[in-house]
Amino acid sequence: MIGSVAEPEPEARAGSLLRRIVWHWCHDPKRELWFAWWMMVVFYNLYGLLFFVVARVQPPPDPGWDVPTVVQWFTDHHLGVLSGFAIIFLVTGFIVPTNALLAYSMRRMSVSRAFAYSYLIIYSLAAVPGMLLTCIALTVGSIRPDRDPALIHWLYDFAFMAFDGTMGVFLIGSLVWMAAVLLDENRVFPKWFGYLNLCNALTEVVVAPAWIFKRGAFAWDGEIAWWINMVVFVIYTIVFISLLRRMIEREDFGTGPLPNLPTDDADAEARDPSGSMAMAR
Amino acid sequence: MMNAAGAGSPQHGVDVRPVSKHSEKSEAYVPGQPDMWAFVLFESFLFTGYFLVYMVCRTQSPELFLRSQAELDLRIGTFNTLVLLTSSWTMARCVKAAREGSFPSASTNAFLTMLFGFVFLVSKVSEWAQEIRKGFGFSSNEFFSFYYFLTAIHFLHLLIGFVVLGVVVHQLSSPARRSQELIETGATYWHTIDFLWVIIFSLLYVMR
Repeated sequence: MIGSVAEPEPEARAGSLLRRIVWHWCHDPKRELWFAWWMMVVFYNLYGLLFFVVARVQPPPDPGWDVPTVVQWFTDHHLGVLSGFAIIFLVTGFIVPTNALLAYSMRRMSVSRAFAYSYLIIYSLAAVPGMLLTCIALTVGSIRPDRDPALIHWLYDFAFMAFDGTMGVFLIGSLVWMAAVLLDENRVFPKWFGYLNLCNALTEVVVAPAWIFKRGAFAWDGEIAWWINMVVFVIYTIVFISLLRRMIEREDFGTGPLPNLPTDDADAEARDPSGSMAMAR
Repeated sequence: MMNAAGAGSPQHGVDVRPVSKHSEKSEAYVPGQPDMWAFVLFESFLFTGYFLVYMVCRTQSPELFLRSQAELDLRIGTFNTLVLLTSSWTMARCVKAAREGSFPSASTNAFLTMLFGFVFLVSKVSEWAQEIRKGFGFSSNEFFSFYYFLTAIHFLHLLIGFVVLGVVVHQLSSPARRSQELIETGATYWHTIDFLWVIIFSLLYVMR
């Protein structure tokens, strides 16, 4: 049976911000879910800030540069790469609750647990080629400027090819999530999100030519291999973070279909049982 | 791909909508799951991005693109287009037959759609082989990079289309299922593949 989400305790909504946080920390049955969700929000914000603003390694530089230009690039980005990736190494652990929440969403579905477990394993491993290898290679290049320039050039290629050329893992992860959403009968996510997963998966394929091309639309900094993909990835990320928030709000810790959130009108009527709202309408 | 629970009657996951009901709410009626239309919209935006990049690159090297285009066989491209348009026609007949309750005919048309899709796949692979034999590979020049990219990403969509058609055939095969909404959702996906191919064909083969 589809019920409605229980109203939070009055203490949850009253008092100062600190008081409310303490209440949620001590009494909210969803505190672990909210903790994971906030870790996800913090991680993705830091990820964007550190890669794009602090380290300035995204958008990616030109894959066709010669050795002196690449060495100069490492010199110019020395401080940003070291400080940005130092923080990235610190917050990499935030991926754990993030992946746990994504797997939880699949555990809440009516589908086999195999979906959640395979997604969890795929995305836990995906952080290594998709992020950490890039950070390590660029940090090594920045911290050892006295090394042979040919080696520095090799690290440059290695870092960006690891970042852009290993999207196959994410492709499989997106397809697993898509299948779970489309097969689910508990209405954890809308079906269109399943199809959006398919769109995202197909854009992961498009990055593969970055292994071959050093210039043009298919290179690792190209309009198709990077720019269009990044737009899709940002939209996809914003959508799934929003949907996960909604899932937590709707969560009733049952096993059947997730209840809907009370609508504003129903909420108003619940607070105004005399029917004056209905009269006003 | 698409489960019956997201469609039709919430009790049995089956939506056997009579034709009269369609006409009653014809103004507000959207064929298939509205969710699939969100996919169509998103894919259209995505491919528009690819096409715009192609057009910009083409304006930068018009001679190279024209010279390379001449290496493609317009007859194969036209054949591909006709085959895919025919598959869309059989898919439309499948939906129409299902709406009228003529499920054997709907199944036949779904299988015909698969057959035409398969002919397209074989024809596309043989065209790729022919171009590679002529010495035009993925990295030969910018035009051929786009040619292989656009036709391959479309090819991938078509492969997924076979899974979608499998769901349609599965729905039609038993009276316990037959969700009209899922059949129409599958048709929407298939027509999208066709629609994208027509644009790809125009850009790669026809536009001079």
